Amino acid sequence: MKIEKEPISGQYAKFKIDGIEYRIYWEEAGQGIPLVCLHTAGSDGRQYRALLNDKKILERFRVIVFDMPWHGKSSPPENAKVGNYKLSTDFYISQIMSFINGLELVKPVVMGCSIGGRIILHLAINFPDKFRALIGLQSAGHLDPYYDINWLHRQDVHGGEVCGGIAYGLMAPTSPESEKFETMWHYMQGGPGIFKGDLFFYKFDGNIGNEIKKIDNSKCPIYLLTGEYDYSATPEETKSLADTIGIEMIKMKNVGHFPMSENPKEFLKYLNPILNKIS
Amino acid sequence: MFKSLIEKNEKRSQLYMMAQHLNTCFMISTIEHEYLVNIEKGVVKNVEEGPFVMPSYVFKLTAPKNEWLKFLQHTPHPGSHDIIAMLRRKVLKFEGDLHPLMSHLLYFKLLLASLRPAESKNEN
Repeated sequence: MKIEKEPISGQYAKFKIDGIEYRIYWEEAGQGIPLVCLHTAGSDGRQYRALLNDKKILERFRVIVFDMPWHGKSSPPENAKVGNYKLSTDFYISQIMSFINGLELVKPVVMGCSIGGRIILHLAINFPDKFRALIGLQSAGHLDPYYDINWLHRQDVHGGEVCGGIAYGLMAPTSPESEKFETMWHYMQGGPGIFKGDLFFYKFDGNIGNEIKKIDNSKCPIYLLTGEYDYSATPEETKSLADTIGIEMIKMKNVGHFPMSENPKEFLKYLNPILNKIS
Repeated sequence: MFKSLIEKNEKRSQLYMMAQHLNTCFMISTIEHEYLVNIEKGVVKNVEEGPFVMPSYVFKLTAPKNEWLKFLQHTPHPGSHDIIAMLRRKVLKFEGDLHPLMSHLLYFKLLLASLRPAESKNEN
């Protein structure tokens, strides 16, 4: 049987993040403008599998997706212990900047979803000159807790089952079941306490208040897209964020919280015009 | 409204696999009506409709009837498509010992979603 290989290559390297060494895994494909993609809380870079396989995008963009420390095929640091992972804003920024500097990427585009959609706002505030553009998927300035996240890491509840159950509901009923299942499966494979540890950033440490007003879209163009079925970062919340920045947001129909993974075909209809503008 | 959960056992023939060790009794409330649902080894064994004098259950899900109807559409609108989405909108309340629910979250989501019609109708 003849197989058709995907154009993706994967690599490992050690990166110093805040003085500590981390073994990081990333995948990339294509050539041209670097496009660094950030996965959601508790998942990994496989969420961008469709983008990494899109021939038209790969003609103009070098798509690069890394697994955050503790996620996917990236390792926890030396002397790590189960249960003490908590993502802070500073550590999240540091890992992105270490990765970009380590790969010597010049003025990349960074696109992030959910926690990634939040951190691009911090990047816009702190390093507007470092990026060609920033794309936020499911971005909101802050999120008040609406369920008890302690359920995500309890020894008497299977973490994979509960994290998968939470992720499943965030997707649109109209997204293809096979893509939804794969998206949920990534959550089912996360390490104990990792999704919950990421949500510390999303629901507490990474909340942005009035700082949003510091974002200057003229220094670095920002694009915001949100799926209509997302109840975590709702289209209304993205709209409020976009209004504060003074830009338009795009509401994506028939997708939820994981557009690039749960319904890539639909998502690319919205993303392609933005990539055309950027390139 | 939820009586047909038992009739849908056949439709959900594989769902028990996700809850093979689950034995529980929970209540679904539309405020006007209450339903006690008994589950044994992941299979719905009985659904009893109230009113009840002294109902005994492990946990309870309460939402107004119109919100449950929105949830039960073939293709629910955003915000009505998932019980956590309803919780977020504060139209659904979780009460009681939530361990059986949260440890079998996807199972319960699919169990309730099995009441949605197979064909799209009365959409708005």
